[in-house]
Amino acid sequence: MAKLSLSGVSKAYGATLALRRGDLDIEAGEVHVLLGSNGSGKSTLCKIVAGSVRPDKGEVLIDGRPVTISGPQAARALGIGIFYQELSLSEHRSVAENICLADLPGKSGIFVDRAALEARASRYIALFAGVAGEGFSAEALVGNLRADQRQLVEIMKALSSEAPVIIFDEPTSALDRAQVDRFFEILRQLKTEGRGIIFISHRMDEITAIGDRATVIRDGETIRTLKLSETDPAEMIRLMVGENSDLPSAEHELPAAGPSAGAPLLSVRNLSGKGFRNVSFDVLPGEILGFGGLHGQGQSAVLRALFGASSISGGSLELSGRSLAVANPRSAIRSGLAYVSGDRGRDGVIQGRPIVENAAPIHYLKERLLLARPSALRDKVLPALGALHTKFASLAHPIGSLSGGNQQKIVIARWLIERPEVLLLDDPTKGIDLAAKADLFNLIRQLAAEGMAILLYSSEDAELLGNANRILVFNGGAVTRELTGADRTRYNLYQAAYEAA
Amino acid sequence: MAETGSAKAPTPGGFKRLIERYPFLPALGILIILLALNGIFSPNSLSYRSLTGLVSTYLALIMLAIAQTYVIFAGDIDLSAGAVVSLVNVVIIVLMEKMGGGGLAVFAALGVGVLAGLVCGLINGIVVAGLRLQAIVATFATSIFFTGFALWVMPVAGTPAPALFWRTYGSKLLGLPFVFYIVAALAILLFVISRTRLALQLLSVGDDAQAAYQTGLPVTPIRIKGYLLCGLFSALAAFCVTGDTASGDPLVGGKMTLFSVAAVVLGGSALAGGWGTVVGSLLGALTIGLINSLVFFIGTPSEWQNFVQGLAILVVLMAGILVGRRARA
Repeated sequence: MAKLSLSGVSKAYGATLALRRGDLDIEAGEVHVLLGSNGSGKSTLCKIVAGSVRPDKGEVLIDGRPVTISGPQAARALGIGIFYQELSLSEHRSVAENICLADLPGKSGIFVDRAALEARASRYIALFAGVAGEGFSAEALVGNLRADQRQLVEIMKALSSEAPVIIFDEPTSALDRAQVDRFFEILRQLKTEGRGIIFISHRMDEITAIGDRATVIRDGETIRTLKLSETDPAEMIRLMVGENSDLPSAEHELPAAGPSAGAPLLSVRNLSGKGFRNVSFDVLPGEILGFGGLHGQGQSAVLRALFGASSISGGSLELSGRSLAVANPRSAIRSGLAYVSGDRGRDGVIQGRPIVENAAPIHYLKERLLLARPSALRDKVLPALGALHTKFASLAHPIGSLSGGNQQKIVIARWLIERPEVLLLDDPTKGIDLAAKADLFNLIRQLAAEGMAILLYSSEDAELLGNANRILVFNGGAVTRELTGADRTRYNLYQAAYEAA
Repeated sequence: MAETGSAKAPTPGGFKRLIERYPFLPALGILIILLALNGIFSPNSLSYRSLTGLVSTYLALIMLAIAQTYVIFAGDIDLSAGAVVSLVNVVIIVLMEKMGGGGLAVFAALGVGVLAGLVCGLINGIVVAGLRLQAIVATFATSIFFTGFALWVMPVAGTPAPALFWRTYGSKLLGLPFVFYIVAALAILLFVISRTRLALQLLSVGDDAQAAYQTGLPVTPIRIKGYLLCGLFSALAAFCVTGDTASGDPLVGGKMTLFSVAAVVLGGSALAGGWGTVVGSLLGALTIGLINSLVFFIGTPSEWQNFVQGLAILVVLMAGILVGRRARA
């Protein structure tokens, strides 16, 4: 009998179906790998098991008994521990306190039993003795630790739940080789104790090294569960990708016009910063350069750094042959860069203000306007909005009255009044409807045809394959592969995204 | 991240480590400087008698700063703390008067006072943590509500406290002022609370509420307990106010609220939560007291006293932040 079993679980956020039909069986003493591309629903599935998301439909069984997981606390009580990909640590607390936080050892009811806390924490710290690195101790504050050390603390915290089922959602992304090897030894030990482990990783070598079975999820549906000993990486990737994975993308959608030959418009050399390192590339005028790979591998970080929204620690930039220094977004805009984020609420829309104000801020900045006549502004804004087929009642309506797709069009339009030289698109179509997406990509291709250089990161691989002339695949903050011409296939993209960093 | 050779381990320097262990050290330094300044301008101000006076006057603010600290630990704030002081003040005065002012009456009234403080804390906790309203605005609203209730209990200020009560507060026991015994009891109480699971949980919630929730901590009950502690110490602050002023006043605590917040920040705690000590808040409250007495002793004309006092608090705040920032850099 399975330790944990989910059948027909679904979850919708508003109109988007994050998980259509999730089935999963975890046996005692196995490492069960979840495989799936960006947005396939594997994280939602994990969150349902961990109790932080409630399913709309479906059944969860633990040891054959149907249960309702009402929250993280309930999940712990039911014997489920989880390693959170985004970590769940208190920066100002010590390593020991963080490890034991969920279940502080008590003394006479209300007090913390410090001795028991230290003893329990040291058991888990000892598991990683020798590989945790300098400065790692029970008393160290988590905020003072390196990224890999924090990830170790989160692993220890998950282990300290001593739960029969433990979920590890990308536990190895920041770890070095020795730390990963030690972690796998611990997982093998847990297997012999009969614990069930759910494991998510984007490194194929790790999956084959530690996994026993794998469940493939695609488009929110469980496709198949297979034994890793009876399959190979190529088949797993084919299952994740689905039908027609070997066809070059060019055959089902026309690629963009293609770059005009000549000197690069933007050159990036050995760029490093928070979340990425040693990134180098050139973009020609008229070229659409795609950034691919799994979520959060440094694509957004590079785009934000180029726009001056986060700092750069090393490397150099050249724009049209001249050295470029971006101190902040303001200087980036003045030197001809434009940035459109998929996170409209945070980076784009000015909530509660009229459409015209939302379309004009870049015009204000570039022209150094203090006062503007509404009629003059109108003449500037209307052509830009027209180019995008934006639907709106009047310029005075608040931006909130528009759909997500039309809001994003307004945000893009603000960059079109004065043309930038380089357009940075950071997952620009997140949460917008298909028609608006088509409009956006038509415009993007048209802008490229007119000579603009475009950097496009998209979490939807079809958008990259259908629009980018070249694709740089990011893995662990670095570019690991470049796909051009007929290599731009779904299969190659997945393979590159999943290969070892 | 994967390269082990170049990865630098975090090795906090001695000073940084010291500040991390004792975040109230800058506040302590400032307090010593202020004491020295007081002594220079008026040697008499460092006498045993004056210091006793200082403690008995500012004990209420110390209590209120401590009350504020527990909610700030969890990333919340309580702008009704001063109103709770007023409410408890008038409630115990009215009760003691109605019951005749004897020893039993005093104890009964104090019991009811503690209860009133806890109820106020519970209301704040339910409104902020339970109903998830913004702490600043919600507790501002409850402060108006509590003040209104205090005005209903005692519409006009001036009812005196029974002699037994304020004489005890100002008395000496075995040669030592009574307030010193309160301070000693307070120190023990603070030490006990600092060892509880709740203190650690409050700080974890303030550090990152989402992470604490995902860890499986009962975030809402923890925050409500923080407000309960705040209510308890607000009631204790009201007892000290009553002992010091010996009368009831439905508006006595209002202006103390923001001083209590200032004291917490002066004491080195982060207003965003997750980081701080109650000892720091205690020192912060004393700092505010010493600034006030210094302003008086250097002979500031009365119309300029507020101006100088505000300026001095700003300077001290800046000094504390500069030291803290250097330690964290």
